[in-house]
Amino acid sequence: MSDVRRVLVALAGAEDPALVPELAGVLGPGFPTLEIRLLHVVDSGPRALLPIGPLPGRGPWPKPPDAAIQQRMADAEDEGSTALLATWRDRFSAGLPGATISTEVRRGQPEHEIIAGTKEYRAQAVVLCPRPRTGATESGPRSVGHVARFVVDHAPVPVVLMRHPA
Amino acid sequence: MISGLTSAAPVAIVIFLVTIGLVIARPRRLTEARAALIGAAVMVLAGLVAPVDAATNVAGHWNVLLFFVGLTGAAAVAERSGLFEALAGTSARLSGGQPRRLLVAVVIAGAVVAALLSNDAAALALTPVVYVLVTRFGLEPLPYVLACTFVADAASLALPVSNPVNVIVTADLGISAISLAPVLLPAALAAVVALLGCLLVIYRRDLPSASPILPATDSWVSWSGIPRPLLASFGVAVMIFAVASALDLPLGLAMTVAWLLLLVVERLGGRLVGPLSGIGWSLLVFVAAMGVLVDGLSSAGVTAWLASLVLGPVRDTPAAVMAVSAAAGAVGANLFNNLPAAFVLADAVHGAGLGAASAHAAAIGTIIGADLGPNLTPVGSVATLLWFVLLRQRGLEVSTWSYIRIGLIVTPTTILAALAVGLLLGVPR
Repeated sequence: MSDVRRVLVALAGAEDPALVPELAGVLGPGFPTLEIRLLHVVDSGPRALLPIGPLPGRGPWPKPPDAAIQQRMADAEDEGSTALLATWRDRFSAGLPGATISTEVRRGQPEHEIIAGTKEYRAQAVVLCPRPRTGATESGPRSVGHVARFVVDHAPVPVVLMRHPA
Repeated sequence: MISGLTSAAPVAIVIFLVTIGLVIARPRRLTEARAALIGAAVMVLAGLVAPVDAATNVAGHWNVLLFFVGLTGAAAVAERSGLFEALAGTSARLSGGQPRRLLVAVVIAGAVVAALLSNDAAALALTPVVYVLVTRFGLEPLPYVLACTFVADAASLALPVSNPVNVIVTADLGISAISLAPVLLPAALAAVVALLGCLLVIYRRDLPSASPILPATDSWVSWSGIPRPLLASFGVAVMIFAVASALDLPLGLAMTVAWLLLLVVERLGGRLVGPLSGIGWSLLVFVAAMGVLVDGLSSAGVTAWLASLVLGPVRDTPAAVMAVSAAAGAVGANLFNNLPAAFVLADAVHGAGLGAASAHAAAIGTIIGADLGPNLTPVGSVATLLWFVLLRQRGLEVSTWSYIRIGLIVTPTTILAALAVGLLLGVPR
C-alpha cells in the first residue's frame, strides 16, 4: 500500500468548522503523507429551475434566457465557491498541519459529481457530512440526506460520514 | 348532445385543447404566442368566430392589451435601472446574512415587486438576482429561489397591476379592478404570510444558523446607483396608477402613461435603449388570441355549459360561488395554464348571469384560484411534468420530488388562507 493517503472531502459549505479537528482524529497519525482534496459542487438543480427560460405553467413568458443574467449567476457561483473553499482550506491547513490541501469546484448534481470527483482524484476515501445543513447530531432514520445516501451506495472507496459534534 | 352545447362544441373544444397542448409542449420551438395565434385562426376558419367578431374581440380588449404594454415596459425599465439589485442589496444588509432573516427579506422584496410590477417581474427579473445574492453568501439557493417563485404568485393577488389574470377577470366581468382591492390586498397579505410560515417550517432544519461567507457590506449594490430622477419617477408612476384606479379611469391608459414617463426620464438620464425594448409582445399576442379562442368556445355554448355545471348548483350563495370559482381556477391553472383558465372562467361567469354579489364573489374566487393555483408545483403541474422530461432530455437530472413536494404543501395552504380572507371580507352578510 502506498504511503500516500488521498482523501476527498466533499463540502456543501455550511458544515460546522469542528469538522476539521474531528476528522483529524478519525484519520489519525501514522501516514507520512496525507493529501486532501476539498470538493465543492455547485448544484445545477436550482439554476435549472429558475424561471428565466420558457416555462409552460404560468402565463407566456415575455423573454428568452438572458446570457448576461446567466453570466452574473455563474460569476456569483465562482465567487461563492472560491470564498467557501478558501475558508475551508485555511481551516484544514490549521487543523491538519503537514497535509497537502487542494481544492476543486465542480458543477452538476452534487451526488454524481462527488462520485466522479472521487474517481478522478483516485481518492482512497471520501468524507462528507450526512446532512451538512441541519447540524443534526443524532443517528437514526432520515439522519442521512439523499446526497450522502447516494455516495454511500455508489462510491468505489470507503465513505466516512462525519456527523457534527454534539 | 349535452344540454346547452351546440353541435359545434366538440370542434371548438378540440381546437382549444390542441392549442393549449401546443402552448405547453412547444413542439419545434413553437412559441406560445404563435400557437395561440394558430388556434385563433383555426377557430375563425372553422366558422366558430366570424372574422369581424374576432377583430371586435381583439379591439374590445384594448384596455387589457395597453395595460400589458405599459406593465411589461415599466418592468423592463425597472430591471435596467438596477432596482432589483438595489432591493437585493438592501435585503443582504438588513438580514446581515442570517439565513432565516434573509429568507424573510427575500419574501418581502418579492412581494413588493410582485404587487407593484407584476408576478412576472418578480419571477423573471428578481429570482436571478436573489440567486446571485444567496450564492455570494455561500448558501444553497433552492429555498430562496423557490420562495421568490412562490411569492411572485402569492403577492400577485394584491392589486390589478400585480397579475395579468386580475385585469383579464375584472375586465371581462365589467368589474372595476380596484374595487376588489379592499378584499384582495388583505387576501394577498394572508397568502404571503401563509407562504412564509410554510417555508420556515419546511426548511427549519435546512437553513444553517449562519451564512458560511459574509461578503463585505459595501460590496452590495446600493440605491445610490439608480439615478434620483428615475427613482422619483417610479414613485410618480405608482401615484398615476393609484389616482387612475381611484377615479376608475382605464388602467391600460394609466399604465401606458406611467411607462412613457419612466422611459422619458430614463432617456433623459442618458440611457439610450430601444423604447420598445422589454415589451412582452408574446404576452400581448397570446392574450389577444386567447380572447378569440374563448370567444369560439363561448359561441359553441361550452363556457355557458361549464358555468351551469360548476356554478349552477351554488349560484345564489356568494360564499359557495367564491369557493367553487377558486377551486375551478386552481384546477384550470394546473390542467393547462392560468391565463386560459382565467379567460374561460371569466367568460363562464359572465355568461352565467349571476347576481351582483355572486359575480363579485366569483371574480375574487377566480383570481385567487388562477393566481395561486399554478404554484401546485413550482411551474404548474401537468406542464411541469413535460418540463422535467425536457430537462432530462437536455441531460439535467432534477430530483423532481424535492421540488414538487414544496408546491403540494404551499399551494393549498396559501389558497385556503387567501380564500378565508376573501370569504370574510368579500361576501355580504
